[in-house]
Amino acid sequence: MHWIDGIVQGVLLGGLYAQYALGMALMFGVMKIVNVTHGDLVILLALIGISLANVAGLGPWAVLATLVPIGAAIGWLLQRALLNRVVGDDPLPSLIATFGLSIALQNAMLVIWSADTRSLPGGGIQQASISLGPIFIGVLPLIVLICATLLTGGLDAVMRRTRFGRSLRAASADVEAAAMVGVNPRNVYAAATAIAVGILGFAATFQAMRSTVAPADGPFQLIFAFEAVIIGGLGSIWGAFTGAMILGISQAIGFRISPGFGILAGHLVFLAVLAIRPQGIFKRKS
Amino acid sequence: MSKYRVVRMTLSGRLALILFSAALLGIVAMPWWASQGLIRDVVTLACYIAVAQMWNMLAGYGGIVSVGQQAFVGVSAYAMFVLAQTFGMNPFVAVFVGLIAPAILAVPIYGLLHRLEGAYFAIGTWVVAEALRLVATNMPMLNGGAGMSLRVMTQFSAHERAVASSLLAAALLLVTLGGSYLLLRSRYGIALTAMRDNPVAAASQGVDVGRLRLLIFIATAVGTGFAGAVYFMAQLRITPPSAFDANWANLAIFIVMVGGIGSIEGVLIGAVIYFFADRWFGEYGASYLIVLGLLTLACALYFRGGLWGFWSRWVEAPWFPTRRRLIRQEGENA
Repeated sequence: MHWIDGIVQGVLLGGLYAQYALGMALMFGVMKIVNVTHGDLVILLALIGISLANVAGLGPWAVLATLVPIGAAIGWLLQRALLNRVVGDDPLPSLIATFGLSIALQNAMLVIWSADTRSLPGGGIQQASISLGPIFIGVLPLIVLICATLLTGGLDAVMRRTRFGRSLRAASADVEAAAMVGVNPRNVYAAATAIAVGILGFAATFQAMRSTVAPADGPFQLIFAFEAVIIGGLGSIWGAFTGAMILGISQAIGFRISPGFGILAGHLVFLAVLAIRPQGIFKRKS
Repeated sequence: MSKYRVVRMTLSGRLALILFSAALLGIVAMPWWASQGLIRDVVTLACYIAVAQMWNMLAGYGGIVSVGQQAFVGVSAYAMFVLAQTFGMNPFVAVFVGLIAPAILAVPIYGLLHRLEGAYFAIGTWVVAEALRLVATNMPMLNGGAGMSLRVMTQFSAHERAVASSLLAAALLLVTLGGSYLLLRSRYGIALTAMRDNPVAAASQGVDVGRLRLLIFIATAVGTGFAGAVYFMAQLRITPPSAFDANWANLAIFIVMVGGIGSIEGVLIGAVIYFFADRWFGEYGASYLIVLGLLTLACALYFRGGLWGFWSRWVEAPWFPTRRRLIRQEGENA
């Protein structure tokens, strides 16, 4: 029962990681770039949300409703002002540019919010749980998991069925050919990053509610998102979701073996997947 | 008889070589002319130069971007601490014996991570560094999160330690800078430069790109590890967060990007700038790091060649010339 409980808690944790990973999978799929500030943006949005809750007295759901459009705006601006200049075959410029921005962003947050850990008051929802026999399931993690599933399904449907999704896939397959048939890559890229960071609005709210955030936490969130994407298979939306579940379960089981082993267990599973199935669980060998 | 000859050395290169050798001799002689504080500063600067130059070889020539080189700093520093403190090996010997650890570790790391595309490779190296930090934190042999102290150093006098530090700093610069210089001037240098400019075209000319990348990854791992062992020998203390500190990646990237990627001169310029910036503005903490981060960002966006690239646009006087120039012979005495 101990282990079943571990798996259940891991799936719930995976719901949060899926919200980190979706945007990263989307951006890599479309532009082949990694935004190193991905994790820092989760923290930035969470800190903005906490300040909004304190200053304007917003409840958690109002914070969520504010953070998603703020995230989308930040993503759009980030792509327009910065990332569009460094998209290309060479991975170095985009990586170094966002790496520098990540250091600047972490320290700017440190100046504004100090190194204190903070969290978002959820009005009692953090403590609520339902029992399924001997296993207790937190209401908040359940909401997170449902949200993650809906976001994944929604993003997948957008990619498959809409005109916008088609232009995204076209730009991802061959950006020059896409430009020739009327897709403006810069607009498509900006929209993709806006969606990616907008989804981080969900991740930020839930992370701040279920645990604490501090300015230096970003790199950890980046690494978890990355591991989920690689485990699942590059560029696949449902792959990222599955990868997040596997990462969450590995960490939850690791924590039950020894508290110091949880995060490390996640890293080891990631390395094992690289060794055994480098194309990820979902992606077929090309 | 050929009417052309290949020229590699320049006047500026000869002068720089003399200055470089004089500087190395000056460093070796430090115990007899420099203060304790100066020796410590020179050792620190040498470590910055070495780590940055190794990153430069990886990213600027090998086309491999890593943000996890601190993995090798930590592993070889810990190897040195264990050999010297736990097994009683002479610490100065342990520095070199411990370099086996990064060399061995680099093979499986590269083997696993080279399956990832460009930017993902880089984040992968970060995961490995994080995993190693957690392993060190959980290992009783390394005294876990509490870290280790190099108490065996008390058996040496202050002068003996100064001599060893100075020799190690000079050896570190000789191996990382001199080694890179020799490598880049050899036929491997041509292969590396070709690979940097276009890996596919280089492969079509007979360069074994995969093997060369693996070799450069191992070589830079050892060079980076050497710097780590020298640095932590001077610190006398090591903990997992300090050994596997992401700041090693930050400083290497800053130095190379600001100084100028793909040149040894750029690394020297960048390292001196970083060293003094850290000294003068380090007290401003977060604000200083914001500026550092934004400068790295600005270099990646607008200033790809860095300071050395900017300077070289007007003055062609390389300190470490690696270019081959074809000179037409005058007259018949060829």
